[in-house]
Amino acid sequence: MQRRVWLPIVVAAVALAGCSSSKSKTPTTASSASVSASSTAGSSSPAPAPSSTAATSPAPVSGSGSAVPSSTASGNLTVWVDAVRLPDAKAYAAAHPNVKVDIVTFDGDGNGATGLQTKIQLWNKAGSGWPDVIFSEQVNDPVWMAQAPFEFAADMGSLISKDITSQWPATSLAQCTVGGKLVCLQDNLAPNVLWVNQKLMTQFGYTVPKTWQDWQALGQKVATEHPGYIIGNTGDSYGAWTYFWGNQCPLESNVSGTNVTINAADTHCTEMATLLDPLIKNGSAPPLGIFSPDFAKKYGGATDKVLLMPGPAWYAQDVFGGTLHIPAGEMTATTPLQWGTDSPITTGQIGGGPWIISKHSANTAAATDFVQWSTTVFNPDPTSKDARPGLPGYGPLQALWLAGLAKNPYFAADPTPALKAAAGLIWQGWQLVTYPDQPVWTNTVVTGLVAGKSLSSLMPAFGKALGQAAKAAGYTVATS
Amino acid sequence: MQVTRKRGLHAGGAARKRDQSAWRGLPFVLPYLPFLILFGILPAIYALSLAFTTSKGKFIGLKNFTTTANDYRFGPAFEHVFLYTSVWLIALIVFVVGLALMLHSRASKATSTFRFLYYIPGALAGAASVLVWLFMLDPAVSPARFLLEHVFGSTLFVQAIAPGHLPFIFAMIAFWTGAGGWIVVLYGALNTIPPDLEEAARIDGAGAWTIALRLKLPMIRKWIAYMGILSFATGTQLFVEPQLVNQASLGFVPDTWSANQLAYQLAFRYGKFNEAAAVSVDLLLIGLIAAVLIVTRTGLFRKED
Repeated sequence: MQRRVWLPIVVAAVALAGCSSSKSKTPTTASSASVSASSTAGSSSPAPAPSSTAATSPAPVSGSGSAVPSSTASGNLTVWVDAVRLPDAKAYAAAHPNVKVDIVTFDGDGNGATGLQTKIQLWNKAGSGWPDVIFSEQVNDPVWMAQAPFEFAADMGSLISKDITSQWPATSLAQCTVGGKLVCLQDNLAPNVLWVNQKLMTQFGYTVPKTWQDWQALGQKVATEHPGYIIGNTGDSYGAWTYFWGNQCPLESNVSGTNVTINAADTHCTEMATLLDPLIKNGSAPPLGIFSPDFAKKYGGATDKVLLMPGPAWYAQDVFGGTLHIPAGEMTATTPLQWGTDSPITTGQIGGGPWIISKHSANTAAATDFVQWSTTVFNPDPTSKDARPGLPGYGPLQALWLAGLAKNPYFAADPTPALKAAAGLIWQGWQLVTYPDQPVWTNTVVTGLVAGKSLSSLMPAFGKALGQAAKAAGYTVATS
Repeated sequence: MQVTRKRGLHAGGAARKRDQSAWRGLPFVLPYLPFLILFGILPAIYALSLAFTTSKGKFIGLKNFTTTANDYRFGPAFEHVFLYTSVWLIALIVFVVGLALMLHSRASKATSTFRFLYYIPGALAGAASVLVWLFMLDPAVSPARFLLEHVFGSTLFVQAIAPGHLPFIFAMIAFWTGAGGWIVVLYGALNTIPPDLEEAARIDGAGAWTIALRLKLPMIRKWIAYMGILSFATGTQLFVEPQLVNQASLGFVPDTWSANQLAYQLAFRYGKFNEAAAVSVDLLLIGLIAAVLIVTRTGLFRKED
């Protein structure tokens, strides 16, 4: 290692990109499902319910109005998916023996990662290697993918029939439209709701808050009466999307072309910061990320200290049951919190991962078929083994998914009315931008909160850092 | 690179003799030469040409350098790297030289055991050692939990990797993985000191301290300089450690923490290859200046000594 000669960045970067892909990203070819794989999928791999559902009865969904054409796809297809979407891709491969699917799993590019930018730049430089389909955990990825210098995303509007795309909510389609072209389809919708631990609430004799003010008052009460219990958290990379998006704080507003408004001094921002500060201080909304091991240890599983949690629809069983090990029969969801008497209620959105088709694909037919199948056919049963964690974007599938979820014994009460209602409440004044804003929250705000600073005192720095990130990405920033 | 330097700095002897010895040396460096040209010199020239041009190949002088120097991430990145490099280099030189001298003055069976123990961490690849350290730094799982909690006051991983701690953490990681190898190298250097010199000193009444500081230390000066040059280069090019901690902490550490990361992000996230090249040329210049300073100050390539 000491023998390192002065390598300029060109070589170092390429080498390290190679290193990082072997160390951390590990894009492994999970399955090259050819004809033989389809026969083994049913027997050796634990017979995923989705593949059998899909293979034998695609009828429930396609039969419900919108015409999903029967597949005639064939040839080679390379898809990049995160671990959560892996069962989906495997099921597609099993159900479509004519398509030789090469599945590459990667980290999903979540939490503001920029791995996909790097990869696409490299493929663009090399002039080859692009996958046909990518799933990203980051909802804003398609925005930069559709623009220079990346120019990766194909126009799905011309590939998928309008009868099908019109089954997504208009807000979702608007989010996926860049420069007048539909460049992605959301796998799932991710509106924020208020997750409630009904068992604990009843046990403590609390009523579920309806407004942010009630929520704050409860937090103060919890801190004195039941210290150690939490009513939310502020340490996730998407903290701003949890609290500021829903409260109409203009941190990514009036986006048109390369213009964006960032005003962290707006009352909608400062009032939320002021509301959160006492809760961060008294420990009822700690600056810890929900996916950090420390969080699960302090609040999850055996300790069971999550009382309330404003968070996205996909938290559901996947995070509360899977990541935090909160026992069944405790959690449910209720409608997003209201700011005072403001009407209508608005909420934020976190994620809602999109599917993107490459414009370089040599097999657009199969790529389109794959995306269409994944979003409109795959596994509508939210209780099966390879359940989709999030609220499906495609209407008919969503209805089936919700019907299944309503019967899920994991929840203390039916969370579906809240999820369904929240999907229509996402504030449209917050638009997606090409740069990742989530790391900015993490490394300017969360680091400060951990060090004991107040959120209000960090807001100017947060606004400034967001502005710098925007400018670095080529935006012109307005502050009012 | 050493070959060219050597030839440049060997201006002393008779021209013909020098030519002869240069030709005789050629077969020895030949296997290395293609790699040096392919992976060292050509990319450096490519980076230089990129740094002074636009993406369309038009010459624009120093514009890429001024643009990147005015970038809001440029200052902090270089600050971080310099703080890190100074902490690490000082620790490296003081402890490596100290430990090597101690090992050498106590020549016994235990020496080889210690040499082996020092070397073990260095056997881990850079990235693997960072992963080990991620566990070490997480108070929830760390065997050094006591230290983290009571000395550094960190009960959570996010506190352990607070921004102010980072240069020291990375320096610690780099020291831990790199020091062992250098201790072995310096121990080898100490072994080249003729035993009669040491004996003569002892007869003259020099104690272990005097021998170590007045005799051995000056004689391995060149090795220390060599370690300094290479380590300075590795230090300013810091990349893997912050990059992995960035990912492991879900963005808690910015992805442009070090200068090399900034160059990487400029190139592959923003597609600004020319600006990235400018940052890497900055790094190259800093490394070259440091190398020239160390070489001239320590007489690294002077023969008569």
